[in-house]
Amino acid sequence: MRGHGQLLGLYVPGQSLLHRTPLVLKALLCVGASTPVVLIRQPLATGAGLVLFLLLMTLGARLPLRKVLGALVPALPVLALLALYSGFTRGVEAAFVVPGGIAVCILAARLLTVTTPGQELLDGLVRLVRPLRRLGADPERFALALSIMVRSIPYLVGSLSDLRDAAKARGLQRSPRAVVVPVAVNAVAYAQATGQALAARGLGEHQHGEDDKEDGPDAVGQGRA
Amino acid sequence: MIRFTDASVTAPGEDGGSRTILHPTTLELGEHRISVIGANGSGKSTLLKLINGLTLPTSGGVSVNGLDTARRGREVRRKVGFVFTDPLSQLVMPTGREDVELSLRGRIRRADERRAAGMRVLESYGIGHLADRSIYDLSGGERQLLAIAVVAAVEPAVLVADEPTTLLDLRNEQTIRAVLRALPQQVLFTTHNLSFAQDSDRTLVLDGGRVEFDGDPAEAVAFYQELCLR
Repeated sequence: MRGHGQLLGLYVPGQSLLHRTPLVLKALLCVGASTPVVLIRQPLATGAGLVLFLLLMTLGARLPLRKVLGALVPALPVLALLALYSGFTRGVEAAFVVPGGIAVCILAARLLTVTTPGQELLDGLVRLVRPLRRLGADPERFALALSIMVRSIPYLVGSLSDLRDAAKARGLQRSPRAVVVPVAVNAVAYAQATGQALAARGLGEHQHGEDDKEDGPDAVGQGRA
Repeated sequence: MIRFTDASVTAPGEDGGSRTILHPTTLELGEHRISVIGANGSGKSTLLKLINGLTLPTSGGVSVNGLDTARRGREVRRKVGFVFTDPLSQLVMPTGREDVELSLRGRIRRADERRAAGMRVLESYGIGHLADRSIYDLSGGERQLLAIAVVAAVEPAVLVADEPTTLLDLRNEQTIRAVLRALPQQVLFTTHNLSFAQDSDRTLVLDGGRVEFDGDPAEAVAFYQELCLR
């Protein structure tokens, strides 16, 4: 596993106002402030959203501006493409509003992840989906799956970057297949490895229904020695 | 007690047939510390993965304290912790604190208690000061210590470690060996380090998917050395 591509960010320990704010309030603030930006789609609202989250990150969470802006770097190619496409199809205003709205959402998500320990986020998710228990869902497993999914994004971004470099080193930078196929293989291998890592600690499996014949986390005969 | 009853593992071969990774094996493993040695591809890791059901036998069976790994796999995996060679394959959260707390989620419901217990686990392994550091910023030895800590945190009855010192320098290797030696639970490990292998009560020598020697560690090492020179 590689650790780069921190789009959603690691928790940064601290004692800032936002670090001390309860998760539910932070979540409401992030959703409440980013949703109108996405729905209204006006440059003023987008600009206000960007300024608000930059202020929250720098003053509220006491993070250096460089680090805050650095969070957007991995998304820049996609944002630039969106700006170009929106500009050509819907005008200059859309070229700012569409990628700007996404940038606001990224900053809002990052605000939560950098000021809240991962386990606290996981607990919050479990509480959020607890009502689904009546429908037979397991909130703990749901939250674990979501947290692992979020955790896998930096890995996949890093994997893409490494494989692009590897393809370049062999003069294959123009071949999409030289990157896409190994990224897909890596993604599957990563999913298997994560499943095994959880199983190795007896995590992520049902607590009941033990008597059913099951497939192990690894298929039969996959051992390596 | 871990029991292998004619357990074998095969995998699909390149020619459409099957290739045997582990030939039918019958064993009773009850000693406190058991080492497994053998060449690369000899079936060591497969033997270990059979113990907690990460790999299932193609024929025969494996049980831990009477629980069949195929039928009661989930229960078995809660009793048997597995430490991988590469700790980065083991750690799924960004920091040590979060990873150890993940281990404790099923045992401790209250977040504040879980946090305190997680910190106690890390401190007991001498890595409390690294709790909030990214797992990618830890040294190989620190990562392996963390990997053992997060698995041991769920207090498994058996701990299985697949070449836990292979990627480490001498100092870190000594640390990991001391940590494994001090664990109260039954420990099974594979290694290429023959001195480490002798740090056990019983040693199995695997070759070509068969247990070729099973007994005293010093004799097992001598047998293995002779086997390699043949």
